[in-house]
Amino acid sequence: MRDRTGRRPRNDAPPQETRSMVLDYLEERFGLAPETFRGFGLYLASKGRVYLGPERAIGEPRVVSVGITIARLSGTVKPSTNLIQLFGRQMTRNVIPLEKEEAVSYAKGEDIRLPAERLSHVTEGYVSLGYADVPLGCGMLKDGSIRNMLPKAKRLGLKFI
Amino acid sequence: MTMFIPDAFRQRYGPLVDDEDAFLACLDVLLPKSFRVNTLKSNPDDVKKRFSGYGIQIKQMEWYEDAFVSENPDIGATLEHFTGAIYMQELVSMLPPLLLREELKDARFVLDACAAPGSKTTQLAAMMGNRGVIVANDSSYSRTRALKFNLEKTGAINAIITNQDLRNFPHMQFDAILLDAPCSAEGTIRKNDKLFYEWSEKSIRSQSRLQKQLITKAFELLAPGGAMVYSTCTFAPEENEAVVDWLLQNHPEAVVEPIGEMEGLKLSPAVEEWQGTAFDAWVRKTRRIWPHHSNTGGFYLAKVRK
Repeated sequence: MRDRTGRRPRNDAPPQETRSMVLDYLEERFGLAPETFRGFGLYLASKGRVYLGPERAIGEPRVVSVGITIARLSGTVKPSTNLIQLFGRQMTRNVIPLEKEEAVSYAKGEDIRLPAERLSHVTEGYVSLGYADVPLGCGMLKDGSIRNMLPKAKRLGLKFI
Repeated sequence: MTMFIPDAFRQRYGPLVDDEDAFLACLDVLLPKSFRVNTLKSNPDDVKKRFSGYGIQIKQMEWYEDAFVSENPDIGATLEHFTGAIYMQELVSMLPPLLLREELKDARFVLDACAAPGSKTTQLAAMMGNRGVIVANDSSYSRTRALKFNLEKTGAINAIITNQDLRNFPHMQFDAILLDAPCSAEGTIRKNDKLFYEWSEKSIRSQSRLQKQLITKAFELLAPGGAMVYSTCTFAPEENEAVVDWLLQNHPEAVVEPIGEMEGLKLSPAVEEWQGTAFDAWVRKTRRIWPHHSNTGGFYLAKVRK
């Protein structure tokens, strides 16, 4: 899709297969039903970023970005911190509740190691991390260790939790 | 008093305020920290409970249930700040979206004309419950990055960022428009003590010229029946009343709407004339916020309907 000037717009509606790939992944991995996003639209931006925005975008002026980044595509689907912070409460699978000190480490950007018995309900791959009923963000579970996926700009030393 | 205040500044605004000494003294006092509860992620009652659990005292504003003030310097180190459940925002900066509260209930297409860094955009998104569309425009590309970060953090799904000089914006019709115009920012002196070193009446005049172009264009982008809020964080009548007066001269169909009282926040009358020129009588419906009245920044608000 190109606009009248011949430039490729930065935010396109993704092809159906990309759309399905993202929505199917979120449903399978986290139990997030596609209806969760009813009334919103998906947009494909540069660097494989997938935005969740209003159902209808605008033709002009040229759009810089739409809504929020919910995932990044690079072969697989990588869910964003924002997706988890906004929809984490509706996630039913691959959710790991953290203890207070673990949540503080996570917010700082540190990786987290948990005993196997606390990981028995989840499978390797991206996981949704939370503290009490508050979704915090994304981690990558592999070999019993959770790699911190929190972007640097979001890291914070928490004093009150 | 330790702060340097230019003589020309005192001469301009001294006669406009009720208590010149209190006004000038207040400019040298740091602003209390304030934040807004992001209702896309939380609610005021929940935040009150959590902060009470932390032992952090916060004070809810009577005029806006989502607005809070705290003397505690560690608000930024709370879980709520980390998750975007609260957003650090100056109190007066919450007013422009608040004046559109009724309109936003069923507005489908809203323009935040000078949106970065996005405090007001994220508030608009929360007030709209992420429904409809907000076009969040800013003429500076680098500033749209901060805007993007804040939209992401607060979960403002219904916002679209554009990067246009408003004066060249393509013709569209918005149900509601927020024009929080670039200004000389005199009202932010309490959080930027270097401001007076760069302050000049020349810069006020050049801001005023730009603001007149912006308000005219914004009004043209407003759908018939739609409402627009024009606001600045400055005291200069050239950038406030004179800009609204200019709009009324050029668009006689513009209607200035009254701004209702706010409990616990003193809104003051507009300036009626400046340097020998009287403004259109309708301009009197616009409002000023002087820092020493309610311990805030300085601000100006006008609500216009087409």
